[in-house]
Amino acid sequence: MATESLGLPFEASAASAWLVWILPFAAALIMPAVGKLSRNTTGYVAVGFALLSALSAASLLPMALEAHEIHHQITWIDAIGLKGGILADPLSVIMANVVGWISFLIMIYSTGYMKGDKDITRFWFWMMFFIGSMQLIVLSDNLLQVFFGWEGVGLASYALISFWYRDKKKDHVGTEGRKVLGLLDYYAPTHAGMKAFIMTKVGDVMMIAGMLLIFLFAGTFGFKELVGDTGWATAMSAQGLLVPAFVLLFGGAVGKSAQFPLNEWLLEAMTGPTAVSALIHAATMVKAGVFLVARIGPIVFALGAAGILADQFFEIVAWVGAITALLLATQGMVNPEIKKVLAYSTGSQIGYMMMALGVAGLSGQYVDGYTAGFFHLISHAMFKASLFMAAGSLLHIVGSRFMTDMGGLRKHMKKTYAFMWAAGLGLMGAPFITTGFWSKDAVFAAVFESGSQWAMPIFIIAVLTAVITAFYTTRMIGMVFFGKKSRHIENMEEKGHHIHEASLSMWVPYGILAALTIGIGIIGLSAEEGLHHLFDEYLHHSFDITSSYHGSEDSMLPEFLQGLNPVALGSSIVAFSVGIGLGYVFYIGRWVDPTRFVNSNMFFYAIHKVMLNRWYLNAIIYWCFVVAPLWLARGVFRYFEKTAIDYGMNGGFQKAVGWSAKVIQGTQTGVAQSYLFVFGAGLLFVVLILLI
Amino acid sequence: MLEVSSTPLVLMAILGTVGIVLPLISIARRERGSNSFYAAIAFAALIISIGYVCYSLAAGSVAPSALFSEDVLADDAFGGFFAIAMLIVAIFTTVGSFSYMRKQNSPAVYYSLILLSAIGMVLVAYSTDLVMLFVAWELMSIPTYILVGFMKKSPSSNEAALKYFLFGALSSAIIIYGISLSYGLTGSTNIGEVIQGYSALDPSLLPLALLSVGLFIAGFGFKMGLVPFHMWLPDTYEGAPAPITTLLAAGTKKAGFAAAIRIIVLGMVALNLDWTLALAIIAVMTMTIGNVAAIMQKNLSRMLAYSSIGHAGYILIGLAIAPFSSLGLQGSMYHILNHAVMKGAAFVAIGGIVTVLAVTNLDKLKGLGRKMPITSLGLVISLLALAGVPPLTGFWSKLMLFGGALDSTGTVWWAPWLAIAGVLNSALSLAYYGWIMRRMYFEGEREKRISEPRSVVAIMIFSIAFMVGLGVYPEPIIQFVEYASPAIDMGIMP
Repeated sequence: MATESLGLPFEASAASAWLVWILPFAAALIMPAVGKLSRNTTGYVAVGFALLSALSAASLLPMALEAHEIHHQITWIDAIGLKGGILADPLSVIMANVVGWISFLIMIYSTGYMKGDKDITRFWFWMMFFIGSMQLIVLSDNLLQVFFGWEGVGLASYALISFWYRDKKKDHVGTEGRKVLGLLDYYAPTHAGMKAFIMTKVGDVMMIAGMLLIFLFAGTFGFKELVGDTGWATAMSAQGLLVPAFVLLFGGAVGKSAQFPLNEWLLEAMTGPTAVSALIHAATMVKAGVFLVARIGPIVFALGAAGILADQFFEIVAWVGAITALLLATQGMVNPEIKKVLAYSTGSQIGYMMMALGVAGLSGQYVDGYTAGFFHLISHAMFKASLFMAAGSLLHIVGSRFMTDMGGLRKHMKKTYAFMWAAGLGLMGAPFITTGFWSKDAVFAAVFESGSQWAMPIFIIAVLTAVITAFYTTRMIGMVFFGKKSRHIENMEEKGHHIHEASLSMWVPYGILAALTIGIGIIGLSAEEGLHHLFDEYLHHSFDITSSYHGSEDSMLPEFLQGLNPVALGSSIVAFSVGIGLGYVFYIGRWVDPTRFVNSNMFFYAIHKVMLNRWYLNAIIYWCFVVAPLWLARGVFRYFEKTAIDYGMNGGFQKAVGWSAKVIQGTQTGVAQSYLFVFGAGLLFVVLILLI
Repeated sequence: MLEVSSTPLVLMAILGTVGIVLPLISIARRERGSNSFYAAIAFAALIISIGYVCYSLAAGSVAPSALFSEDVLADDAFGGFFAIAMLIVAIFTTVGSFSYMRKQNSPAVYYSLILLSAIGMVLVAYSTDLVMLFVAWELMSIPTYILVGFMKKSPSSNEAALKYFLFGALSSAIIIYGISLSYGLTGSTNIGEVIQGYSALDPSLLPLALLSVGLFIAGFGFKMGLVPFHMWLPDTYEGAPAPITTLLAAGTKKAGFAAAIRIIVLGMVALNLDWTLALAIIAVMTMTIGNVAAIMQKNLSRMLAYSSIGHAGYILIGLAIAPFSSLGLQGSMYHILNHAVMKGAAFVAIGGIVTVLAVTNLDKLKGLGRKMPITSLGLVISLLALAGVPPLTGFWSKLMLFGGALDSTGTVWWAPWLAIAGVLNSALSLAYYGWIMRRMYFEGEREKRISEPRSVVAIMIFSIAFMVGLGVYPEPIIQFVEYASPAIDMGIMP
């Protein structure tokens, strides 16, 4: 029904949906040529195209906010029945706008941040390619096309994480010389890019396996087609393949969104320019996994409503999210590098989103958790982009990635200080005035009311994580802006460097986002209600998922009460207060010295060390999947390849081919008579075969 | 009667007039005209021709694929398809010759001969009468004999021309012998009537009919480069001027296939016997010998000459399975078009390399990727496409050919072996294509960039766009092939 009743010209809107992802790719394509003509204009071209792409995403908003949708298909390869297309429904249009506008702001920021870089053209090429791939994921109407964007995102992230491929010391992450389980915890950009690429590839392989499994039964990759007829799901369910297929798909999301156990690449991804980190964390990469779960979640839930149960899928999603949320938050408490703290925080917050999307499927009211997860995605995109860009400014000006090299900056960088507080409050979930509070509260409420058997443990993890989140955010702000100036800064000032505010093109973007965090936060509840209502309509039309609120004229009212679940509300306020209070004690008020506190007894010391060593997860992964295989490979090479293959098989085969080639060449004598003889013999041969 | 506006007649008029007028202009200007002037005229004539073919196909004024006609020529989509492929090759040759001919004498004659040969190729594709076919065949061949020997002072060029001519003459004799046999048996030279006559033949005359088909296979097989009629091919390709090799490998060779589809396949369908095995054996022999011989070659032209023998084998798979799977002929025609562009581009690239660096030895190509980046890129993409690497265009036609072979498994036992042989050969071919790429990109010191001939660059860009663009989005070409390919089953008769 969705398309016709609206006054918008249909074709034009479909075109603008295509443009959303084609424009960034076009910009990437022309970027080398632009760079040849004038390096200085590349930035303007990139910002311009990002703006155009965001504008075409915005032009879809009115349509989407009325819960309408555009589905436009073209024939891709008819021979195997493949179709490509765009699906602009409320979910994808809102996501496209989040991606589009935040990318646009980050591009503006990048013009300042990357000023004077020698390889600026390459930077813009991959940034635009990155955005284009992400928008392709968002607006695709089928899994295969999503996968193309998915790989594009992976490729772009590889290229951007290892952007400073000369591996200079200042571009590394980790503390030089520090070892965990005998392995260095210190990574070069090129290594980090490779690590991200390979780890996400593990998920991608799972994803393509899941995709093909579904294709095998359904004969289509299309989201719309998968919803219509459920025969395929019945067949898969009968063979016990339905849940595995969707879990494999979720594997792709786990890799891309850096969820446990594929979370370790996210930290090293900090070797990229900070603008890249902001893009990865707020808009283009890790959100892709959440988006994928939001795309396929309703399909699975609708199957459940039709009697084909796949609850395990949602349980896995919820638990992966919960584990990641807590695991990464604890590590964020102790890390000394500002970007790494933010990276841990991203993984942890994505865990919240997964948690909400998972418990949604375990409850009767799918729309509650769905809205909560997606609302948290939007609010996180704003404050995290803001925090990252602000952190980038700090790095830029202080020239160090360690928070211990900062300190006492609040007088020198007033704007950054203020914005970081605003965005940081969003991350902490400061009650009633930040988007982060409302979205986190919605997640809490959704978990608490899901009625699942796991509701209580997950809820406790969620609240605990919230305490930790508030604590590490306070710690970060405290270490950077409060206390005495570090020796590093004093050295800089002695050398005549002046600590100053970031340039205009840098602070404006994160200022806008910080302001939005508070601004939308003040009207957060009604924003959430609007989103809730929209998704309720959307899920009803597109997936036939009807909530108990649906259809009632005053659907705002019961949901209003629901949103303010007293337990959830109370928990989040308490979590915020406890977290910020503890942080204040240690890092702003500085009443207790954290180092002395940790060293005061064995127990704290041990916990601190485990967290600092990343729960040993990274080291174990390296031992199992890098060190051991390399050792094995060397053995195979030395004892098997060198002897059996090289001397045996390979040599023999090579000789055989070489010998036969020589024989054939030998017949090519160059003597015309013998050629004619062969010709005649051949004629005879052909006639003989025909006659026999 | 054929209308005056029918495609073959219009093409004949355009190309023939320009082809004859070019030398006259040259005489009128006392042979002072520049190479670029004549090349431009020839190029314009070819572009107009290809435009007219496309226009008439798009306007729907041609029959889908009539194959038979009362007239000596049929204005059908089948012919149109081949005409497009061959005119593309003729354009490649003309543009590719541009830089090559700068140092040579009598350019007007050269381009005029290319145009005349192009008429011949196009008419072969449109012919529905044996005599017409033969005339077109000779019109196509004779100019190429001269073109191969165009470098009067070069012994290798002369040797190449001589060998080529010897075999050409022999095969022409064989073809005309085949024609006379079939005329004697059926009393007609119209292909439709010949085939009709064959299907109602007295059983005692069957051996003679088979002999005529065998003669056709040998006669056309010479141009197609089928083993064992291939011996002349490497010598000729190596000795001929580089642009002319493009014309031979990508153009006249394909005309052989057009004729083969019209006569051999249809004729043998009419004779209603287990003839496909013969083509299957030749196909496997051809591709294996071509690819194995290519592996040890040090000379680029020679390597690609053998590779094009190998590709004739792939195309022949489609003819062998034509009665069992509609994918067969479609795959063949698709691969013919692809091969025309891929091999054409590769030879033009080599022509460019020869013109600039005067080397054809594989070991001298070190660092070419830096010296001539666009030419190298075009060469690499065409080699990858030849090997059938997705998503380049060569992948789809090979997929159709091998898929067609697998499709016919139920009908004939040897069909899957064709597919297996094809896949193994493709893998083998990657080995020597890989060597070329390795030389160009992974060896050699930091080389300076050399200016590349602009005409070669233009062809490279067109070919890359064709191979990549239609590889990613093959739908229009597949539809065109489906439209143009004749539907063969044991029942069709004129």
